Amino acid sequence: MNGQEFFFTVDGRQVRAEPGQTIIAACDAAGIYIPRLCHHPDLKPAGHCKLCSCYIDGRRASACTMPAAPGMVVISDNEELNNDRRVVLNMLFVEGNHICATCEKSGDCELQALAYRLDIPSPSLPYQWQRYEIDASHPDVFIDRNTCVLCSRCIRASRDLDGKSVFGFAGRGLGMRLNIDAKAELDETTFSAIDKAAKICPVGCIVIKRTGYRTPVGLRRFDVTPIGSDIENKSGAKPK
Amino acid sequence: MSEPSTVSRARKLEIDPVTRVEGHGKVTIRLDEAGKVQEARFHVVEFRGFERFIQGKLYWEVPVIVQRLCGICPVSHHLAAAKAMDAIAGVDAVTPTADKLRRLMHYGQLLQSNALHIFHLASPDLLFGFGAPAEKRNIVSVLETFPEIGKWAIFIRKYGQEVIKATGGKKIHPTSAVPGGVTQNLCVESRDALRRDIEQILSWCLLALDKLKQIVAEREAEHKDFAYFESNYLSLVGANGVMDLYDGTLRAIDSAGGVIFDGVEPCLYREQLIEEVRPWSFMKFPHIRSLGRDQGWYRVGPLAQLNCAASIDTPIAEAERRLFMNIGAGRPVHATLAYHYARLICLVHSAEKIQQLLFDDDLQGDDLILSGQRRGSGVSCIEAPRGTLIHHYEVDERDQVTRANLIVSTTSNNEALNRAVASVATTYLSGQEITEGLLNHIEVAIRAYDPCLSCATHALGQMPLIVTLEDAAGEVVDRKVKQ
Amino acid sequence: MTKPRLATCSLTGCFGCHMSLLDIDERLVELVDLVEFDKSPLTDKKEFDREVDIGFIEGGCSSDHHIRTLTEFRKNCRILVSVGACALNGNVPAMRNTVGLKECLEEAYLNGPTVEGKGVIPGDEDLPLLLDKVYPAHEVVRIDYFLPGCPPSGDAIWSFFKALLTGHEPSLPYRQFKYD
Repeated sequence: MNGQEFFFTVDGRQVRAEPGQTIIAACDAAGIYIPRLCHHPDLKPAGHCKLCSCYIDGRRASACTMPAAPGMVVISDNEELNNDRRVVLNMLFVEGNHICATCEKSGDCELQALAYRLDIPSPSLPYQWQRYEIDASHPDVFIDRNTCVLCSRCIRASRDLDGKSVFGFAGRGLGMRLNIDAKAELDETTFSAIDKAAKICPVGCIVIKRTGYRTPVGLRRFDVTPIGSDIENKSGAKPK
Repeated sequence: MSEPSTVSRARKLEIDPVTRVEGHGKVTIRLDEAGKVQEARFHVVEFRGFERFIQGKLYWEVPVIVQRLCGICPVSHHLAAAKAMDAIAGVDAVTPTADKLRRLMHYGQLLQSNALHIFHLASPDLLFGFGAPAEKRNIVSVLETFPEIGKWAIFIRKYGQEVIKATGGKKIHPTSAVPGGVTQNLCVESRDALRRDIEQILSWCLLALDKLKQIVAEREAEHKDFAYFESNYLSLVGANGVMDLYDGTLRAIDSAGGVIFDGVEPCLYREQLIEEVRPWSFMKFPHIRSLGRDQGWYRVGPLAQLNCAASIDTPIAEAERRLFMNIGAGRPVHATLAYHYARLICLVHSAEKIQQLLFDDDLQGDDLILSGQRRGSGVSCIEAPRGTLIHHYEVDERDQVTRANLIVSTTSNNEALNRAVASVATTYLSGQEITEGLLNHIEVAIRAYDPCLSCATHALGQMPLIVTLEDAAGEVVDRKVKQ
Repeated sequence: MTKPRLATCSLTGCFGCHMSLLDIDERLVELVDLVEFDKSPLTDKKEFDREVDIGFIEGGCSSDHHIRTLTEFRKNCRILVSVGACALNGNVPAMRNTVGLKECLEEAYLNGPTVEGKGVIPGDEDLPLLLDKVYPAHEVVRIDYFLPGCPPSGDAIWSFFKALLTGHEPSLPYRQFKYD
């Protein structure tokens, strides 16, 4: 706290911020949860997923990249924004192959948890059924691109936290894929299970081997309380 | 359904869908111009393709994926796959805590699935009669007409489901069995809640068994002769031939009770069993290799579990087993409807097993998962509610499945299901005015086997079980197809 | 007043959603008071012969037979509910969608390690034609409500259908709203 703190409003509530702090970071600290997928507090903001898109002084912008400013008026939780978030999630579901019922990330998956929180009973857009092969070449980690949501968390973690740049993107649009720094498969890279990038995937795409289903149903991260509850509970604010 | 007798032409009858069975089935019966049954087929009209799409999956995902073969016996598939994956993970014996938790879950499954079949699916036929009006033949009528039996139905099944939930987190499609062990033990609160009710459940199982014995006694001839034929039997048994529905070795006996093979380790199943594909039937017929196609077919399920076992290690079920085996007078019991009787004895046995296990402190142990030296192949057998279930997987050094082969219980009963359908069709339909009630007799025969058509379609796809009908002289009836 | 009618069907699924319907346990008695069962695998009624209020669809759509069944349900049921992951998104059976039907059939019928001889892929006039893919029910007919889960728990099914049957808008508490 350097004494230069200021206030802005989010959905009518006063939120304290410091210079340079993003809206999402200030909201997290204040106990207000803004939905997000690509954002991670340990990583540089990327503004990829658009789930945290808010009205900021009347214009749409990503709360994860936009710095807070004194007197700023932010609207995050309204029907229009939440509907747009549902459309984004809907597209992520049908562009991949998300078989939640058997996925080892189920119950701990942020994509699934967001769909729960935003009350999406089922994706309604036509499924793409694109074929992806699993890369299980690495002894300790596997990549299942069926569930990749192209959030770039692994890319940023590997580059900025692990200093390795194992991951990147290739292609565009529907053909966009998570790429690795090797001709063929993950075991040719310097990737290791102790890398930060190995544990930062929000979905079931980059997963440590032989750890699946270890947490009993009922005790998983999102079994009982919605995603964002940890943030909302900070201030005693009630989850939705 | 009936046609004026002046019109005489060949025709086809369909029972579609077969109801009060698990999954999707259909029967077609072809009658000749005189109204004589010419051909009867039992079709399963689903295809899913698990063997192929499981390839490439990581081996620890398999127990969770393959249980989606079946929502009635998911635990059987979950545990069969987990046991096969124990071998892949290099674990020859899981810890006592893991072993007993899996067993508890399995007996919970046997309890709920056998109860479901006896009460919700089959009991309307037994209580109201095979030819009772269609609108009466369902669990709703049972609840209304026989509230006491309805109570057993609901609470025995519920108890089994509660056991599964307490050991696996969910009533349907639990996730607790993993390669090398289990992920959770049984908490004291759940144990105590289950202990409170087990006496009551066991006593209701016994009342249900008594009720069935009474029905059998009242309609002795029907129960003896309905869809009767002799066969071989296959089941897992434990040491010294004691009934063990969770683990053991394979035993096959012939129709006189003689041993065909015994003590066969599940991993050697391929030496004993093979599945024939007949080009005209599009279905696999598992049979015992050494006996060949015509002599080697066998039955599995509760009847086989009792016929193959030398004894049962729980006292009430053992006493009931002895009574049951008296029917065969030294030979196996062969009647199709004896499946129900046998199923109730298995129900009682499962309740007794659960009771034993609930007082075993190992269930609260903390030693849950072991690991070992990875292997490339794993095979396991388990006695599912419907009989011997075989899972076989090959896994490469990347931990990905390269091959899967599943011989599910109902598949093993295909030949028997067809014979039962053919037998009933010939006995009850030939030359008769066909009524809905008569057609239900066909379904009664199918239901006796408690076919899990959902399971059977993992691979068999559209498995039309074409029946070879024989006339009184044992000659094969001409199989000319359609009009 | 006549009771509302409920019809159910199971397409390409595992029957687990029907099992979960039975997991409402003693509330079955209450359900039977609220509703009359019509065409269903749990009864012996095989054809529609009157209007039904609610249709319960389990399973995805993988054959021409399923398309007929779904269309029939749509025609005869006032409200259609997709129940469970298979009806909602194809779920595990839809894993074949990215592999291809041919490969799946070949593995099952020609290449299985216990298949005797060369095997043969089935096909018969009494069998339905398989679709190239397993489709969610809502890609085939209009669906009014979606109840997720694999399967949805008995509690979820109960609260959902009880609301529908008593004229309320169904809404599930967080703990009952699951995809797995």
